[in-house]
Amino acid sequence: MHAGAIVLQTVLLVALAPLWNGVVARIKARLQMRRGSPVLQRYRDLLKLAGKETVLSEHASPLARVTPYLMLGAAVTLCTWTPVLTTRPGLAFAGDLVMTVALLAAMRVLLALLALEAGTTFGGMSASRHLALSALAEPALMMAIFTLALNAHSTDLARIAAAVEAAPAAWISPSHLLALTAVWIVVVSETGRVPVDNPVTHLELTMIHEGMTLDVSGHHLALLEWAGAVRQLVLLTLVANLFLPWGIADTLEPAALGLALLAWLGKLLLFAVVVALTESLTAKMRLFRVPEFLGMAFLLALIALTSDTLTRG
Amino acid sequence: MSLTGLDGVLLAGAVFGLAVAMLLPVLATLVPSPPAALRHAAPRALAAGSCVLAAVVGMRALAGATPPPLAWWPGFPGQPFTLGPDALSAPFVMLFGAVGAASFAAHAPIGSERGASARLALHAGFALAMLAAFTARHVLLFLVAWEAMTLLSAALVAHDTRSSRGRGAAYVYLAISHAGAACIALALFTLSAQAGSFQFEALAATYARLPAAEAARLAWWFTAGFSVKLALLPLHVWLPMAHPEAPAPVSAMLSGVMVKAGLYGLLRFAWQMPGAPPAHWGTVLVLAGIASMIAGALYAAVEADAKRLLAYSTLKNAGVLALAVGLAALLAEAGQRDIAGVALAAALYHAVGHGFAKALAFLSVGEAVHAGGSRHLDHLGGLANRMPRTSIAALVSTLALCGLPALSCFAGEWLVFQSLILGYSAGAGQLRLVAPFAGAALALASALAVAALVKLYGIAFLGRPRTAEAAAAHDAPRVVGLTLLSFTALPVLWGLAAPVMALTLAAPLGALLPDFDAARLAGEAGFTLLPARVDGSSIAPAAVALLVALFALLALAWLRGARGQRRVLRRAPSWTCGAATDTRAQYTALGLTKPLRLIFEPVLRSTRELDVLEEGSPYFARRLRYRSAVPAVFERWLYQPFVQAVVWTSEQARRLQTGSLHLYLAYLLATLVGLLLWGR
Repeated sequence: MHAGAIVLQTVLLVALAPLWNGVVARIKARLQMRRGSPVLQRYRDLLKLAGKETVLSEHASPLARVTPYLMLGAAVTLCTWTPVLTTRPGLAFAGDLVMTVALLAAMRVLLALLALEAGTTFGGMSASRHLALSALAEPALMMAIFTLALNAHSTDLARIAAAVEAAPAAWISPSHLLALTAVWIVVVSETGRVPVDNPVTHLELTMIHEGMTLDVSGHHLALLEWAGAVRQLVLLTLVANLFLPWGIADTLEPAALGLALLAWLGKLLLFAVVVALTESLTAKMRLFRVPEFLGMAFLLALIALTSDTLTRG
Repeated sequence: MSLTGLDGVLLAGAVFGLAVAMLLPVLATLVPSPPAALRHAAPRALAAGSCVLAAVVGMRALAGATPPPLAWWPGFPGQPFTLGPDALSAPFVMLFGAVGAASFAAHAPIGSERGASARLALHAGFALAMLAAFTARHVLLFLVAWEAMTLLSAALVAHDTRSSRGRGAAYVYLAISHAGAACIALALFTLSAQAGSFQFEALAATYARLPAAEAARLAWWFTAGFSVKLALLPLHVWLPMAHPEAPAPVSAMLSGVMVKAGLYGLLRFAWQMPGAPPAHWGTVLVLAGIASMIAGALYAAVEADAKRLLAYSTLKNAGVLALAVGLAALLAEAGQRDIAGVALAAALYHAVGHGFAKALAFLSVGEAVHAGGSRHLDHLGGLANRMPRTSIAALVSTLALCGLPALSCFAGEWLVFQSLILGYSAGAGQLRLVAPFAGAALALASALAVAALVKLYGIAFLGRPRTAEAAAAHDAPRVVGLTLLSFTALPVLWGLAAPVMALTLAAPLGALLPDFDAARLAGEAGFTLLPARVDGSSIAPAAVALLVALFALLALAWLRGARGQRRVLRRAPSWTCGAATDTRAQYTALGLTKPLRLIFEPVLRSTRELDVLEEGSPYFARRLRYRSAVPAVFERWLYQPFVQAVVWTSEQARRLQTGSLHLYLAYLLATLVGLLLWGR
């Protein structure tokens, strides 16, 4: 693919990542009859954090100083081969589905280690929960996309998107819908949204993702938050373009790209509405109900996979 | 002994070097007052050097230089004992050499002088036996080497004479290993009787000519025997007991290399010699692999003993190896030899990649355990700031074992996924049924392994020291530290240059699948790894590492720009929402994976006891005792009934021995009559 297109999609994902959180917060505020903060508030927060003094725990190892940079680096790297606007492969020679899952896992490892750096209870607690939940979420994610990969005969993300797009009849097949449900549960869990986690909570006993960054501050925190936002947008884009590849461009012509951009933004807005509605209407689950929830995703993905095997024989 | 060419000289050097290194410490004890260097430093350096020679031999053999084997006439009738690497053993010899060199360099003398030299002598003997097992081309030599490898490593497992755990582990290890060795010996002797020769070449020719049923039976005997060394479920029980008890440098060789001897045996005797594995072989290995993978990862995740955790992680990786080889066999059986080659490449690549990472992990964790005075993770902590050199090695090995892209354990698993997808697409027989579950199992096992290894590094090296010993820990001695740091390069290099490294495996792949073109595993001048089909998917670990580094640097530059020259980073006590905390408020190893223990409770059947020792008030107890254990399911339900049956039978048999001479004469008479009747 054109190098410019790769740069464009990377910049798009990285730049729009904080915005999506702002949009969700805004919709939620409207649902609660509040005016809410401006959608650009997240950018201001990031800039403010970046300018602040950074305090590091005296027990932290040198790894703690590198981790925030590596997290952002890994998150941005994911953007270079995720199909965003076209099914023409980006840096697909470098990464595919398995590499994506492995990089997500790498970010998880680094974040869990960062949480243990300060030697505090909250760090350990959230790392513990994070590890347990992702041990269920990761295989579910892998399997859900694996269902599509088996039919595309490839783990290349762009190829998978193209294969799904080429057979719209399969979109309403049971295995596709089950896999979509599974992947949505995983995305909710991985991005720390209700009902798995509450992104705005500061009640220590209930939190997972927030707890891991309690002892991180200043520019380190800014990097981590941005990395988290980019990771979230990449996951959402994967759902949008692998499972619902409507409107994605097959060529690099400006008209097709423009349409694809609109379709992509529309799908993201739809996701934002869904997430905001879920967060307004449901309560957070008790922690030990979450494994059942994620176990359900795992099972759904497994059923999707087997039903796919059976129906296609 | 004839020396042929450079490789012959190198191999002879490695063998004699290790032999001398084994004998020197022993001989030194015979001299009244030997120079100190003779007891430890000299043999250690010699052994490390010999291993480097072996690594060079392995690398040259990978590159295609297979010299005529070294022949040695031990006065045994028939054929000479022959030693020499060939294409199939080359990657294993290279792995052995690299890990062995690091293991000897890191083998610092500990404890009493006599104990230290005895351990070193055993270590060198063990290494020699392993090198001989990988390069032997003669049945008797192979069996002697195989047996010596088991016996010497068992002695090292039981090296701590005060530890009953070590003795028990050595006993279990010996018992199961000998059952396996008996299967191997039976098959090998049957085969050499058929062939009328002890040489492997003659054996292979006869094996390939045998009737299919006969060949399959032999192949299954071999499989049973070598599965013990590869520690596949349910033959794995010895591994998590024995590997942690040995001194750390020996554990590194046990987990990093010796387990792969099982893989070598499977490939050599059940695949290469008969030409193809028997029917259903692939299915059995795939199923055993899936079970080992998940069990290993799950038990590693709930383990709190640093070295046992690593041993369980070895079990998980042995499962991955079995899965890859089983897939290859299934695919080859279905005629998909291109994809079978991908799965085999995965097995060989992962064998070496895991060997590097696990050896480094055992070496570095061994240093940490020694410095912290305990193997229990809850007695360590905060070592990263106290042992910087060791902790870098531990971090790299942990991340590699977590399957991070660009380190040594990722590309192997990626190739397994590729062969699953391609095999499924090609509609290869049973694979359509197995592939989805194998993929799910691999993903689950990897995720559980991540939890286990994060626990290992996070609890032992990060946070605050949990005991006074851990707080006073010092870094490893300089030589050991530098060894660890330089060995770190291997897992990194093996991972970053995965496509090139996969290309170097062309020779062993060709030995197993002659029509497989390994050159197709790499594309774009060795930059990307492909599943041998141009239209498939690809990865480029080096490119990913470069991109991550590039974007991280961009972030750094952006921050520099945004903040101007002001770089503010202040050290302060941990915040924890403002609460005052002490060391014991940190999460423990038990607590960190408690959610996982609860989630997998139905499988693990863990037990939990809570005793109130001292009542304070009705609501708050003053002192509690909390005990939690994960029972050894296989030992209890599978091995214990078997052992009890054996003990019961021998109890019954003892009744025959009353000590009465008359009765014994009656036995003789009865036997004689019985034999006469039978022979009539």
